[in-house]
Amino acid sequence: MADKSFVGGIREPRQGLVRVIRRGRSGWGGGRVALERSEVSPKLAPHFGFRLSEAERRGGGHFRGTRGRGGGKMAAPLELRCWGGGWGLPSVHSESLVVLAYAKFSGAPLKVSVIDNTWRGSRGDVPILTSEDNIVSQPAKILNFLRKQKYNADYQLSAKQGADTLAYIALLEEKLLPAVLHTFWIENDNYFTVTKPWFASRIPFPLSLILPGRMSKRALNRILLTKGEPPHYHLKEVEAQIYRDAKECLNLLSNRLGTSQFFFGNTPTTLDAYVFGFVAPLYKVHFPKVQLQEHVKQLSNLCRFCDDILSCYFRISLADG
Amino acid sequence: MTLMCNFLRLKLIFIKNDYFSSLEGTFLKWISFHFLFTGEQILLSDNASSLAVQAFLQMCELPIKVVCRANAEYMSPSGKVPFIHVGNQVVSELGPIVQFVKAKGHSLSDGLDEVQKAEMKAYMELVNNMLLTAELYLQWCDEATVGEITHSRYGFPYPWPLNHILAYQKQWEVKRKMKAIGWGNKTLDQVLEDVDQCCQALSQRLGTQPYFFNKQPTELDALVFGHLFTILTTQLTSDELSDKVKNYSNLLAFCRRIEQNYFGENGKGHIPLRLA
Repeated sequence: MADKSFVGGIREPRQGLVRVIRRGRSGWGGGRVALERSEVSPKLAPHFGFRLSEAERRGGGHFRGTRGRGGGKMAAPLELRCWGGGWGLPSVHSESLVVLAYAKFSGAPLKVSVIDNTWRGSRGDVPILTSEDNIVSQPAKILNFLRKQKYNADYQLSAKQGADTLAYIALLEEKLLPAVLHTFWIENDNYFTVTKPWFASRIPFPLSLILPGRMSKRALNRILLTKGEPPHYHLKEVEAQIYRDAKECLNLLSNRLGTSQFFFGNTPTTLDAYVFGFVAPLYKVHFPKVQLQEHVKQLSNLCRFCDDILSCYFRISLADG
Repeated sequence: MTLMCNFLRLKLIFIKNDYFSSLEGTFLKWISFHFLFTGEQILLSDNASSLAVQAFLQMCELPIKVVCRANAEYMSPSGKVPFIHVGNQVVSELGPIVQFVKAKGHSLSDGLDEVQKAEMKAYMELVNNMLLTAELYLQWCDEATVGEITHSRYGFPYPWPLNHILAYQKQWEVKRKMKAIGWGNKTLDQVLEDVDQCCQALSQRLGTQPYFFNKQPTELDALVFGHLFTILTTQLTSDELSDKVKNYSNLLAFCRRIEQNYFGENGKGHIPLRLA
């Protein structure tokens, strides 16, 4: 009981602590204790190390890292389980990065728990969002769920822009995702020198011997089943085709972005989250085989787009990591 | 359940190619358009793709000869119908056919600027990603439809037991693909919801314009027409799929417009299925 204040691993200074959260009412993220002052007897308050000020009792208060959107949002604590970061990115895994970016854009208070090499938590089907009684697992579903919880980054978009978003996401998944998967999981140099060691270091032994191989097979399967139909009988031809498609897709995205800051004006939306999620790992992770990375670096507006998002929205992770 | 059309065997339709004798430097004499179209064999997704290509070729005003073969799927270089046979070249599927026709000098999308071309490609991927995959799902992963319609239609030209074996093999392949792209765990309701979302996006993009890029039809219009028309006019075990499309009146008007303009009674061509 005494350690409830440290649920979620938040180490905050004891004095002037602004950690009180109304249970079940405000939009604070998950894992932190929700105790009203009246629930804690005055004798025990010093144990919990907090003092309640008037402002906190009124539902104000803050803690480092929130967007401060204030009350009125009904949200259960949300926990996201995803792969960790490196090379300046909050996450190296595309789908996890999409969800993280969207959460930042829409102000959803997510408690991010990174997969590490302890046996805690699950590793399959990541990213996974857990709230009170829901477990949601794919990026599209997670984003839908967040929108239903009123964390909507697209509220300023017109109907046509919303339709464009869906179309461009389909384009990304068809044309760019196979190449991203190939660069990470199938290209031998990249896989054995970068991807496999990185993932294996974050998975406990002996799963670290099995899981990266399984992820690689799943990526290969996906590419072959969707792209590897005749007349491409050989993997080399499929590779050539998917890299061609990916370069064309990147060019299209660059044309569409032009000189504006985000894809639809000055505020980031779902499409920005997806593009960031797919392009940023290609841009930032240091691979031995870099043909697609070279191409991304030539498209300076996409690079500027990724860097902007990293510096504006992920400053805290950058400072930590 | 039978399809609404009554064709048993489609007769060859040959269009005189005087059109090309006056053009210089063209390679096309006529385009021989192959697809699996007997009244008993073709499936929903193949029909949609074939109709899309046919609409595209009609929009380009190219003379086509339609040929039906029961083994068109195996004749095709990529294993999918429809395909076109021009001179000594064979090209299948809408994307490569568009590029091939463009290389010969006919293109519907020349008037578009870069951003519009990007949008067009994105919307075509959306249709392929959602509508086509939903059609495949419905045909091969929904047990009711599989049992009643798909198995019997797919195995129609083959004797027992080959008809069953081929149908099961194809079903296994399609299920494997669905699992790889993450649709393996979807329920029918989720698939229908995706179809609804896709139709909503198309409807919002179309708005009140006659075609997606205002005055002139492009390959996107052909593709959307192919899929929507087929969904609307094919009878399945339930009407849920076509009901999703019927919710959007501008899409219905769009289909009728293209049917009248490019497949009407002026003899340019015909569609075997009629709008319900």
